[in-house]
Amino acid sequence: MSEGSTQDQPINSLGVLLAHALAMENDAVDRYGELADQMEMHRKKDVAGIFRRLQKAEQKHLDELYELTAEMDLPHIAPWDFKWGGESPEAIAVDRVSYQMSVKGAVLLALHHEKQAYGFYSSVANRTSDGEVRRLARQFADEELQHVAWLEEWRDKCGPDDEKPLDDPDPPLSQE
Amino acid sequence: MENCAQKKKYLAKDYKSELKPIWCPGCGDYTVLNAITRALAEMALPPEEVAVVSGIGCSSRIPAYTSVYGFHGVHGRALPVATGLKLARPDLTVLVTGGDGDGFSIGGNHFLHACRRNVDLTYIVMDNQVYGMTKGQASPTTAPDWEGSKLTPDGTGINPFQPLVVGLASGANFIARVSASDPVNMAQIIVEAVRHPGFSLVQVLSPCVTFRPEQQEWRDIVRTAVVDYTDDAARAARRLMTDDGFNVGKVLYKGSRPPYRPEFEASNGSIGELEARFAL
Repeated sequence: MSEGSTQDQPINSLGVLLAHALAMENDAVDRYGELADQMEMHRKKDVAGIFRRLQKAEQKHLDELYELTAEMDLPHIAPWDFKWGGESPEAIAVDRVSYQMSVKGAVLLALHHEKQAYGFYSSVANRTSDGEVRRLARQFADEELQHVAWLEEWRDKCGPDDEKPLDDPDPPLSQE
Repeated sequence: MENCAQKKKYLAKDYKSELKPIWCPGCGDYTVLNAITRALAEMALPPEEVAVVSGIGCSSRIPAYTSVYGFHGVHGRALPVATGLKLARPDLTVLVTGGDGDGFSIGGNHFLHACRRNVDLTYIVMDNQVYGMTKGQASPTTAPDWEGSKLTPDGTGINPFQPLVVGLASGANFIARVSASDPVNMAQIIVEAVRHPGFSLVQVLSPCVTFRPEQQEWRDIVRTAVVDYTDDAARAARRLMTDDGFNVGKVLYKGSRPPYRPEFEASNGSIGELEARFAL
């Protein structure tokens, strides 16, 4: 965090909220896409499908945000100066995945991050003194809740096979 | 932050190529790629003004995954290639990427002299303490008692290479260690490294999830370094003497040695005149 950072301060400007939202949705689209690519590369189609579906859902949010902000001059915020500190709440950490990750493992991981995104927007809405920021942050939080509900539904549908780590018919072996 | 109305010119994705990485899921190199592209976007560097040079190994695949100029060179020879490029094209921002085996063993001698020459390069080393691409042999930074390779079933028994100590002693002008578990901090450090004149060394603790799965615990072991950087090499050396290798997230050392930037005279003379300058 750079000197003079305002990370612990509430968001009271619409431009700052939208700059955060754009960064978060961009990160989410990129990250879900990267994870889907990784899993497809390793022929893990079921897990890849989860991430790809989430990528498309996030892309929809992102497109709506771009439309909303098309005529606006948003402030520039360095990646390390966003309110969340570190990676954005919706972006799954790359080192949390494995090529043997189960379907349910992927759903739970995504669920955790969608809840974090919901938590971020809810916190912004609860702390701001600006009415428009509160209204929009609540709207964004509700949109994240739709993803949460969808993932919870998927989690509940997972059977025993979805909990097993994926097989590797050709495991990596240290060279002799 | 809120007062800055500068329009962002590039997104991190603008620096990525269409090629999909083939690293193992969970590999730290993904976050390094993300940190590099994020750093370039933050500096708003036009892709055509940046080059990434690498040697051989998993992490050396990075140039192919970026949209900037790239050179995927010979094992251990990334630094001499990058040195030549930077001297010939000082206007370019030149990053060098690679692993611990490529940089500190096969390219070890080049590493020493690149630090010594202090050309304005940023060297990002993804250190996973193993040769991953060749299926898991001990590297120069592997602990002496690591028994994971059948080539060294009782461990190497050799003290590991200390890249930051050696880099400092050899003249590197900027030294930092970061963790692959914190790509945003890594991007910030890379920006600092690029902006600092001279040879910048950034060691990344980048887990090999396939041949060193225990390194996934690094995420929980690393800690943010307590003290800020020093410009005193002796003080930096003393800090490294008590360092366990897991202090990350801050710059350790920023020197003020001027970078090596030879002045090339534009010559309209003949080849013969040029040869005459070097005649014995």
